[in-house]
Amino acid sequence: MPGKTRKTPLKDADRDYLALGLEGSANKLGAGIMKHSKDGAAIVLSNIRHTYITPPGEGFQPRDTALHHREWALKVINDCLTKAGVSMHEIDCICFTKGPGMGAPLQSVALIARTLSLLFSKPLVGVNHCVGHIEMGREITGAQNPVVLYVSGGNTQVIAYSRQCYRIFGETLDIAVGNCLDRFARIINLSNDPSPGYNIEQEAKKGNRLLSLPYATKGMDISLSGILSAAETYTLDKRFRAQGATGDEDTITPQDLCFSLQETVFAMLVEITERAMAHIGSKEVLIVGGVGSNERLQQMMGIMAQERQARVFATDERFCIDNGIMIAQAGLLSYRMGYETPLAKTTCTQRFRTDEVHVAWRA
Amino acid sequence: MTISLSQNLIRSSLPIAQGAEAKVYKAHLTPESPPILLKYRFQKDYRHPFLNANLTRSRIAGEARAILKCLRSGVHVPGIRMVDATDGVLGIEWIEGQSLRRLLPGGAEDDGSDNVDNVDSMDTDILKEYGVSVDELMKLIGIEIAKMHRVDVIHGDLTTSNMMLRRPESFTSSDPNVTTELVLIDFGLSYQSTLTEDKAVDLYVLERAFASTHPDSEPLFAKVLAGYAETTGGNWPAIKHRLDDVRLRGRKRSMVG
Amino acid sequence: MESFQFNHNVAYALLFSPVNNPGKIKQRIINAAKATGSEGNEEREAVNFSFIDASLITSRLHLETAIHQAIIAESQGLLRTKTIHSEILFALNPTNNITEAIRRYGVSDTSNALFVVHIVDSPGPISDLEIKMKQAVDGTMVPFDELAKVTDWDKIEKYHKLANEVMEKGDAVQARTFIDNVAISSVAMKSVMQ
Repeated sequence: MPGKTRKTPLKDADRDYLALGLEGSANKLGAGIMKHSKDGAAIVLSNIRHTYITPPGEGFQPRDTALHHREWALKVINDCLTKAGVSMHEIDCICFTKGPGMGAPLQSVALIARTLSLLFSKPLVGVNHCVGHIEMGREITGAQNPVVLYVSGGNTQVIAYSRQCYRIFGETLDIAVGNCLDRFARIINLSNDPSPGYNIEQEAKKGNRLLSLPYATKGMDISLSGILSAAETYTLDKRFRAQGATGDEDTITPQDLCFSLQETVFAMLVEITERAMAHIGSKEVLIVGGVGSNERLQQMMGIMAQERQARVFATDERFCIDNGIMIAQAGLLSYRMGYETPLAKTTCTQRFRTDEVHVAWRA
Repeated sequence: MTISLSQNLIRSSLPIAQGAEAKVYKAHLTPESPPILLKYRFQKDYRHPFLNANLTRSRIAGEARAILKCLRSGVHVPGIRMVDATDGVLGIEWIEGQSLRRLLPGGAEDDGSDNVDNVDSMDTDILKEYGVSVDELMKLIGIEIAKMHRVDVIHGDLTTSNMMLRRPESFTSSDPNVTTELVLIDFGLSYQSTLTEDKAVDLYVLERAFASTHPDSEPLFAKVLAGYAETTGGNWPAIKHRLDDVRLRGRKRSMVG
Repeated sequence: MESFQFNHNVAYALLFSPVNNPGKIKQRIINAAKATGSEGNEEREAVNFSFIDASLITSRLHLETAIHQAIIAESQGLLRTKTIHSEILFALNPTNNITEAIRRYGVSDTSNALFVVHIVDSPGPISDLEIKMKQAVDGTMVPFDELAKVTDWDKIEKYHKLANEVMEKGDAVQARTFIDNVAISSVAMKSVMQ
């Protein structure tokens, strides 16, 4: 409820707490160390990431991604500890992503977490990836009770907090927005370095023709698969010039398509976010997830927020894109509420809804 | 730039409310005409102008078509009084009455946007004015939704704020026992569908709205469903089954990361 | 003379019932459209009205709605027919067939009652207008209330394909309220009809 702030059930830290967070639900392997100090501050001691990048036109396969994570785990975790100047013995808990995500990569990282837990006798905390994004976003931006737009390769959700639960107000009915953009990048053969989404954003800046794509909102939900096929169909159009504009009037360029795709898809996202804000009367919106680093999306959200005298909170790529520190943050909140995941329950799950998590640390 | 006809009409109208998508006004087309409610879908600056124009047009069209379809099939909805899809204006019959949200316990609290009516005290005695009991009212809700679903219109945003009771003074009926009429309003999120799933989700959305707005609403909602079941007849078991599924799922889909 | 004072425009209207020269009016409109030179202009000006078969009008609001939608269409350059006056007939017809709209809702050999409507940008002297209307129509001018005696509910029900729905209504009053509301709503949303 906006305007009504109840006291948080989370007690002030009686001492400094340290958590190691491990994330690997998709093609990023991340490790981070979060410190909750006695004075109430949350300090990022380190946040290291390594991304598995595939050649243009190729997506990342679960098996290869899992292999990548196993190969890089030692280096990434060591770097993370060194950077933080912390030894494993000082850590209070090891937090890992329980889900949602791709099975094989999740399992690889969970295995690493269990191994560390047994080696150093540290408790484990399984974390919901989406809740990790939300908690890190709140911590970094200082947003109190925002409507959260969570947009990444695997997720597209509009979330609002209510009674110790992150309730999903709206979501995609088929593919996630990041997935939609990534797949389109593959269709027009854009590089996956640093990320397909980033390259789409750069191409879109050069486009100027808005092509008609199906705008599919259904109540608070959206559908994106039809847009992807429609965009793909344009690449088969005889007016399509894969090499870009030739000076002819009536041509369709990859840049135009990137532009149209962004304009259409982001307008849908902003619309359902605004609907949720109107519904719960919130004046804050927080964008999290990899797609959240797109500046055009942030700009559109900003215009919407301005119209409603609301504020947009967005994080930069360090925290937007999957990372270890967000897992440490959400896990540590949970741990401080007395929650641990017993070894036998440290399994992973590809399906793990945001609203299944008991958000014990919020009022 | 000359001001358009509908813009001019809006300027001379009385603002009633503003939502995320639209501004609402009370207007008269001519000084002698009955009042109408104008729903103005204003431009969204974050959206590309071309997208805005197409979207506004198609949404006004969609809303008007859903209303006409309901109206023709005898579902109680406001009649359409003007459409200007270019300017984003839909004019509908002004319903003299009150939103159901404010007629049911709990609904008057925390009521941010819906300020059409002004009720200070909140108790079910107000219903007496309309000549219906709470139970009868619940049944009426179920019946209207069932009639709407029968013609494959899915409302998309069923809440007690989107239902009204006509004031007995402004309602004429041949049956002296019928003193009011339950009217479904705001078809801004409606769409056409024959799917049992969509109808079940429509009901589920209302159930959730009841739970969040009106305390201890379970027995109330059971009566809504009873009215719905009676009117739906043979299709009810399938929809009920699906509604149970939707309740279990909480929402529509499970999540893959 | 009745008037509809919209924000931008004014529509003036007279109701004639009965009408003695419907065939002649119709012929005159057809001829005026073909006539050339200054004589043609004069003739077109003399019948520059919307002649509407009043038996197909359910209420004042029904007529008003059709006029209003025609005004909107004209202001946006979206007329589907040649003039704002023929657009009223188009708006009244539940299908997109223009010829059918004019045949059904315009003046015909069998029209017994007519609305004569003229739309102008701003209010002006109406005496000339009334004279011109009366010159065009040989009939009895009656108040709008007389419409109740003229409306052919069965025909409107048929044109809007409402037979089954009307049967479910309890009585004639309810049935007419229903038909009126559907007719008005259909006219209002004509521009976005599928």
